[in-house]
Amino acid sequence: MNKIIRVFFINFKDGFKDFGHLMAFIVNYVLLFFVYIVGVGLTSIIAKSFKRVFLNIKKKRDAKSYWEDLNLKRKKMIEYYRQF
Amino acid sequence: MKMYILGISCFYHDASACIVRNGKLIAAAQEERFTRKKHDSGFPANAIGYCLKEAGIGIDEINYVGFYEKPLLKFERVLYQHLEMFPRSFNTFVASIPSWFNEKLRVIRILKKKIKYKGDVLFVDHHMTHAAGSFLISPFNKAAVLSIDGVGEWTTTVYGMCEENDIHLMKEIKFPHSIGLLYSTITAYLGFSVNNSEYKVMGLSAYGDMNKDTNLYYKKLRKVIDIKDDGSYFLDMSYFVYHYKNRMPSEKLCKLLGGSISIRDSEMTKRHKDIAAALQLITEDVGMKILNYLYKETKCENLALSGGVALNSVFNGKILRNTPFKNIWIQPDPGDGGTSVGVAFYVYNVILNKKRNYVLEDAYLGPGYKTEEIKTFLDNNKIKYLQFKDNDDMLKETAKLIFHNNIVGWFQGRMEWGPRALGARSILSNPCNKKMKQILNVKVKHRERFRPFAPVVCGEDALKYFECDNPIPKPTDFMLMVYPIRKKYHRLIPAVTHADGSGRLQTIKESQNFLYYRLIKEFCKLSGIPILINTSFNIRGEPIVCRPEDAYRCMMGTEIDYLVIDRFLIKRSDNKKDIWDSEAYAND
Repeated sequence: MNKIIRVFFINFKDGFKDFGHLMAFIVNYVLLFFVYIVGVGLTSIIAKSFKRVFLNIKKKRDAKSYWEDLNLKRKKMIEYYRQF
Repeated sequence: MKMYILGISCFYHDASACIVRNGKLIAAAQEERFTRKKHDSGFPANAIGYCLKEAGIGIDEINYVGFYEKPLLKFERVLYQHLEMFPRSFNTFVASIPSWFNEKLRVIRILKKKIKYKGDVLFVDHHMTHAAGSFLISPFNKAAVLSIDGVGEWTTTVYGMCEENDIHLMKEIKFPHSIGLLYSTITAYLGFSVNNSEYKVMGLSAYGDMNKDTNLYYKKLRKVIDIKDDGSYFLDMSYFVYHYKNRMPSEKLCKLLGGSISIRDSEMTKRHKDIAAALQLITEDVGMKILNYLYKETKCENLALSGGVALNSVFNGKILRNTPFKNIWIQPDPGDGGTSVGVAFYVYNVILNKKRNYVLEDAYLGPGYKTEEIKTFLDNNKIKYLQFKDNDDMLKETAKLIFHNNIVGWFQGRMEWGPRALGARSILSNPCNKKMKQILNVKVKHRERFRPFAPVVCGEDALKYFECDNPIPKPTDFMLMVYPIRKKYHRLIPAVTHADGSGRLQTIKESQNFLYYRLIKEFCKLSGIPILINTSFNIRGEPIVCRPEDAYRCMMGTEIDYLVIDRFLIKRSDNKKDIWDSEAYAND
């Protein structure tokens, strides 16, 4: 009897875990859908209407080199505490 | 007063940690070795635990933690991808954004939660950590540096100049233009896994047409990439979808190459081989042009190479012959795993401006196990074994086993740092037996047939058997250079001679690994050849073994005949109760 109850509770727990994952996925999906449409979509449309380019995809016909200046050297200590 | 720096790399692929004490590397390991998940990207709590144990300290004694990238800069790039590619990037947005908010942007909080670290955390640009991981532990005081990988924050390729404690990264190529991602795209196109199987494509290229004039796919792939004389390049992004999808090649690329994406584990035809060869040729084109330009810019004869592309040992082996550079250095793990070492040394030598006092001599930086610990493991698990009298006895007997075509698992000392097995966690066998490649494949490795096995040779014998650069570059010690095997030896060591007559050799010196070196010498006494086959000690699809139990499990699950672990010899057929079939569970 004890074994049956234990198995029942294990399955019950696993079932709830799966249900939790499913709910998290649905909530994430719905929330991210709105974030994507409103946040990313609107920003993208507005920015592009002002000819803002986010990724360098179009080739420049007259480019002699694709190297870009970086000039990354030792910075002040405080700069390394920043995540950007 | 001792100063400890903990370097961490995680949340992309190949998570790792290392610890530096007063400017010297004490320990370094990849998280995958502990969790047994290949290329594990998770927070490296186990690797950190090992590093602290090896240093004999607690987390409170760490002075600084260095993190291998600037997470917000990387997040900016991800957002820009979505802004540029709206609405086509929806699926990747939903798939990737949660992980940014759950872990990638919460590094400081995760450090507090998982390892109770409350001290200073320093964030260093990704390619700077690549450059630092190569130069700061190199024997050079001054060197030109080149780092090429898939992508860091924005940068995919960068070059610069290093001197003493200073690293100056001068120019860059930015995402989405990436030679590393081009390599990964073709890897995916050929039916292999990305960020895992690029080396298989490199191995496959030797079977293809390496002549630029006759390889049809070389001409086709050149349409995909515009390469300037200075090595800078620009990808035609209509051939790719990796900037907004979870896959890499576009339909247009499939059309260009004359077929859809190959199914995993499908037979490799001449077309596949020629595509791999074309890709390798293009990678070498770009690499050599950049290096020649870099030399022109820096006029420095020393080169420190890093980034995932520095694992392309075929390219590496050609550098000194095709550029003015005279010396080359690559650390054992030039990919993202190695950036934990890079960031730790960058913090110590550059940010804190402490004098450099360390050169990496060997890669044995991982966990080791005492004889008593191993004996306890064997006894507790009722494993039948023999104990050798001494090292001489062990070396002679092991050499005999290898000479008689047995496959031997070799578990000695501290585990290697980096993706290659270098004689601490290796499977060794006889290179003179022309069937040995097949035997190893059938019994243990179950690899694709086209993949070669690597030779290990004593340093002083390398020039006799291989057409190496002279003097032999240091990265050869870490199995990072491919060289042609001299023609007259092709028939003597057929099991390690690749289709194009080359070998990805490891050179070993007595000072680096005494037992391994002496074993090769003992084998030479029997065979006349100071070379062994050295392949990684793992089950297909799993990381290289770390602990004694991993090694024993690997031997019993494959058909490795013997395991030589510390002073103990275990014969598989003596322990039939533990035999299992690893292939039934393998997933590569």
